Amino acid sequence: MANEKVDVVIVGAGASGSTYAAALAKAGKKVVVLEQGPDWQLSDLISSDFWGRRVKPAGAPFLLEGKNPVSYGYQGGWGVGGAALHYFANFPRLLPNDFRIKSEHNRAHDWPISYQDVAPYYDKVARDVGVSGDAKAEEIWRPAGDPYPMPPMKTFRNGQIWLKGFESVGIRMVPAAVGMNSTEYKGRPACIYDGWCHVGCPIGALANPLVTYLADARKAGAEVRPWSSVTRVLTNAQGTKVTGVEYYDQKKERQVQEASVVVLAAWAAQNPRLLLNSSTDKHPRGLANTNGLVGKYMMTHFSSGTLAIFDENVENHMGTTGAQYMSYERYGKTAHKGAFGSSFIVAGTALKTSDLGGFANARLDLFGPELAAFMKRAARGFSRIGAFGEEMPNIENRIELASDKDEFGMPLGRIIHSYDDDVPKLWEANFAEGLAIAKAAGAKEMWSGRGNIPTIHLMGGTIMGTGAENSVVNSYGQTHEISNLYMAGPGIFATSGASNPTYTIFALSLRGAEQLATKWSTIAG
Amino acid sequence: MSQMERRAFMKGAAGGALAFTVGGIEVLLTPAAARAQGVPLRTLTAAQAATLEALGETLVPGARQAGIAHFVDQQISIPADEALLEARILNVRPPYANFYRAALAAVDRASQALNSGRNFAQLGEAEQRSLVDSMRQNKIDGWQGPGGPFVYLLLRSDAVDVVYGTMDGYAGLGIPYMPHIAPTKRW
Repeated sequence: MANEKVDVVIVGAGASGSTYAAALAKAGKKVVVLEQGPDWQLSDLISSDFWGRRVKPAGAPFLLEGKNPVSYGYQGGWGVGGAALHYFANFPRLLPNDFRIKSEHNRAHDWPISYQDVAPYYDKVARDVGVSGDAKAEEIWRPAGDPYPMPPMKTFRNGQIWLKGFESVGIRMVPAAVGMNSTEYKGRPACIYDGWCHVGCPIGALANPLVTYLADARKAGAEVRPWSSVTRVLTNAQGTKVTGVEYYDQKKERQVQEASVVVLAAWAAQNPRLLLNSSTDKHPRGLANTNGLVGKYMMTHFSSGTLAIFDENVENHMGTTGAQYMSYERYGKTAHKGAFGSSFIVAGTALKTSDLGGFANARLDLFGPELAAFMKRAARGFSRIGAFGEEMPNIENRIELASDKDEFGMPLGRIIHSYDDDVPKLWEANFAEGLAIAKAAGAKEMWSGRGNIPTIHLMGGTIMGTGAENSVVNSYGQTHEISNLYMAGPGIFATSGASNPTYTIFALSLRGAEQLATKWSTIAG
Repeated sequence: MSQMERRAFMKGAAGGALAFTVGGIEVLLTPAAARAQGVPLRTLTAAQAATLEALGETLVPGARQAGIAHFVDQQISIPADEALLEARILNVRPPYANFYRAALAAVDRASQALNSGRNFAQLGEAEQRSLVDSMRQNKIDGWQGPGGPFVYLLLRSDAVDVVYGTMDGYAGLGIPYMPHIAPTKRW
């Protein structure tokens, strides 16, 4: 079944898709957003760890392989709002050194743009969605920019208690930049610090797409179609232009949505899966994949968590799931001797009892009466800090199509991911420093959150670069091969940095959408 | 929205009420109430439920009475999209019933091999703890089924959910629950 042709069809209603939808709808374009899951409302965001799992994928169509399989379930999105419906809303940005690792260290890639190209969009996004923080304080590590529109969030004892420890090792902590309201902003209320951000903020104090870009997009006339599972991007007979997408609706009936421009904003793993599944005689390896780089250079972050029990009530139920304090003090690529890659440090997070991040999982070795005793101690005095680490891009970390198929006959994806030797070194260095911090902070019990090295924040797969010889897209997300096909989201990151990616996703999406709107007649014509 | 409204407690969601079928009629019950009322299981067998209750109780004291077997049974009997299980975020491939059947069978097989043919539910407390500790560390020779450490992680998470993840669980630890939102509909 064919629908009326539109200017733009966007696949995915998460952070990046919503940003494109808002910018393009406000530019007067007719926009349709296709989202495979439900049309969540704020009233669906129930404050409960196990009920909060409803907004996450149930068996996403990927097989997980490699020495360090990617874990998507906790962070993934399912439905309108995507992963940004339940993210922690930490809003650190990349730093200038992230954009030139090749030039400065002869490792990985340079980005085709610099920090200064993205910085204005960080500032625009901050105004659009509302960011709380202290930009001036951050400028000890980055170039000056606009102040954030709101002052920093409140802090609580579970964050404050670590400051003495950080100071002892020379780490300066500043108020965390977060996509949350410390004061009322644009008609949205201030945060009430209940710590349920990770299952979705139903009052709109946290900048999720439902109350920011997606709301703007709908107001400007964009149509959002939930329960729409896209299976292929369609091209003209010559293979020179995309013409729309094929998808299946809630009744499992095939639909076609024609459009002048297609934006894939379906997640770093799903975008390559769609490109690879859209092969034609003109594009036998899949769309935008003549160079074979679609699905390559998948990257994740990993974290070194330091956990501690203090001999006082730290009120760990108070605050937000994101951070109260942050630091780029170890963000230099060689900041830790013998290790390579940036580290981004956070402290002060509200904790719940259950779920992956709950404090029952802080001592996974305990069960039975020992666990029950720990829960009582932890309820009063448990807190933790974390250091995110950067993984270098590796072409062997990749997405491929599998032989198994989903309910629509589309091949599942295989996500193959293994950490290289740099990662355990950086992981260990951050653990060692974390324990020193905990000791100096006066913790009564302290330990490292070990286990398998975690995989957090999937990025890459359709990376940006200077040309088709080294990348899939340009710095705007426009594919090198087909000018009216765009990629959006963390898949276009050339390297991962170590900071939480969503702020950069918003910024790059806004930059790409503005370029598309400005050059519309050239691109869509 | 007033502060009071935002903090209003929800009796359905955070309280852990789920849809159980009693006498052909769907009613909202907590798993603990479903167990106490003897609500029939829909997917698990009685033997599987006995293993799950014993395992849950070994992992997290109170899990049996909190209704871990009824919780898991109800959850694996509904579409995966609606499930609230930790399996969802630990990347278990639906249908989730397959994982639970395989995991519980693996536990009983290991128990029988190590304890003269007795199932896990028939073991003494010390024997149950010993088996769980070995499973946790992947130290059971001849283990067949989903990996022992993963079974430990996932079943422990389910037990934590029913004991500590509810409003009652928070109250038992003296932690203010502080939900943002009262449920407006059952989902």
